Amino acid sequence: MGKPKANVDKKKCLACGGCISVCPQDAISWIGNKAEVNPEKCISCAICIRTCPIGAISGEGY
Amino acid sequence: MKYDVVIIGSGPAGSVTARFAADGEAKVLVIERRAEVGVPILCGEGISRKIDEWKIIEGKRWIAGRMDGARIYSPDKTCVTLGAEQAGDETGYVVYRDIFDQELARNAIKAGATFMMNTQAIGLIKEGDKIKGVRAKRFDGELKIEADIVVGADGVESKIGQWAGIDTRLDPKDLETCAQYTLTNIDVKDAYCDFYLGKEIAPGGYVWVFPKGKNIANVGIGILASLSEAGRAKKLLDDFIAKDPRMKNSSPIRFLAGAVPVANPVETVRDNLILIGDAARHVDPITGGGLTHCLEGGKIAGEVIAKAVKAKNFSQGFLSEYETRWKEAFGQKIKRNYLVKELMLDMDDKTFNKLANALKDVKFEEISTHSLVKEVAKHLPISAKLNALIKYRKEIKEIKKK
Ligand SMILES: Cc1cc2nc3c(=O)[nH]c(=O)nc-3n(C[C@H](O)[C@H](O)[C@H](O)COP(=O)(O)OP(=O)(O)OC[C@H]3O[C@@H](n4cnc5c(N)ncnc54)[C@H](O)[C@@H]3O)c2cc1C
Ligand code: SF4
Ligand code: SF4
Repeated sequence: MGKPKANVDKKKCLACGGCISVCPQDAISWIGNKAEVNPEKCISCAICIRTCPIGAISGEGY
Repeated sequence: MKYDVVIIGSGPAGSVTARFAADGEAKVLVIERRAEVGVPILCGEGISRKIDEWKIIEGKRWIAGRMDGARIYSPDKTCVTLGAEQAGDETGYVVYRDIFDQELARNAIKAGATFMMNTQAIGLIKEGDKIKGVRAKRFDGELKIEADIVVGADGVESKIGQWAGIDTRLDPKDLETCAQYTLTNIDVKDAYCDFYLGKEIAPGGYVWVFPKGKNIANVGIGILASLSEAGRAKKLLDDFIAKDPRMKNSSPIRFLAGAVPVANPVETVRDNLILIGDAARHVDPITGGGLTHCLEGGKIAGEVIAKAVKAKNFSQGFLSEYETRWKEAFGQKIKRNYLVKELMLDMDDKTFNKLANALKDVKFEEISTHSLVKEVAKHLPISAKLNALIKYRKEIKEIKKK
């Protein structure tokens, strides 16, 4: 089984855009003015998870 | 819908570009995904007073307070002061970013630009390789906006460049990930902006305290994304506030997350396309300040766009006047400060303490990173100077290769 994909908790996200700018796969976009990961593009590198200043992104197993 | 120019993003970069393009009689549309210009605020709100000379924003409604100078604290709390007494009047303001952005938007609209809120760009319209406009989502509908020039003023999260084939993805070591409270009932005694450095306090960045008037201040943190863990910025900021006696009885009235590119600028011009502001990575890599560049760059972009519309020439060659002029205005500074940023990353807390100790009695003649960097250079340990030289050489080589 592959690593789990990153997932934004939309209730927590404060829409700073940091995760979008560092994602090497360009897998994150605004959907309804919150960040959302496209799981098809995500390669589970966890860069966005570590970047989020408020811990709004998770992905178990890292 | 057909316009001469469609600008994506109603931040300062977008609005100032819109205003100067419309001033030159271009037909301008600005689209913005949010419901209100400038809201939510994602900024420390400090700006240099040199914007007064540019006359791009007038009145006083956007000013929260004066900034009389800056104090930089090394990890052992040695203080370097860049003060108004030493530097005449050349300091700055702390602003209300929502009102600031709305004033700039108002000026653009007065000049003839149209704004469309709740409208998110989702892709470019292309004919072959040629950019012909943007596709946008507005509530549940999709619309096509044709334009001769597309301007990406869409902030740190920019996609416009990416869609046009310019790689704007940031290396985590080129992004400051931020959190900030606006604290009230805080004990601030003067109009100095304070900066706190240290690997424990803010790895690869700093904590700031920007007073917005009596008993109220923006207290924020930026750390390098490459040194970050999930939620670490907020946690370090909470730790800092818990330990600071001035903030003992304070309470927040705002909390924000933020992201600041501290990178080398990207390529900003293609046929039918311009990138500007944070989208172009036009931010000072040492301070993380981007507002002045949005104003300077926006004026240049607007003027060049107006010329292009008159000449009906939207080629990269014609639009490159914009790139030449922003490079003259602040490109060199960003490049130099990027190298300094890299150099600072290699320095440990002990070196910062030593430097602060050497600089603590220096009377700075102006409040700028330039004067600070000049003084720092005099006192750097030999090893650090060598390091800088090696990095600089490498950089030059890479530029030559390109
Ligand atoms: C925490 C923090 C503190 C800062 N402190 C300071 C400071 O004290 N001084 C200073 O000078 N600078 C500071 N900066 C930097 C400054 O905020 C930025 O440089 C500035 O906001 C850049 O302006 P801009 O117009 O380029 O982008 P933004 O102000 O980010 O505007 C971009 C706009 O584009 C919109 N947008 C994005 N994508 C789309 C889309 N697809 N469709 C439609 N609209 C879109 C966004 O909603 C936004 O309104 C700080 C930044 C942060 C995060
Ligand atoms: S980094 Fe965190 S707060 Fe910022 S947009 Fe991404 S998920 Fe939201
Ligand atoms: S885990 Fe990596 S690839 Fe996946 S969304 Fe986050 S940054 Fe992008």
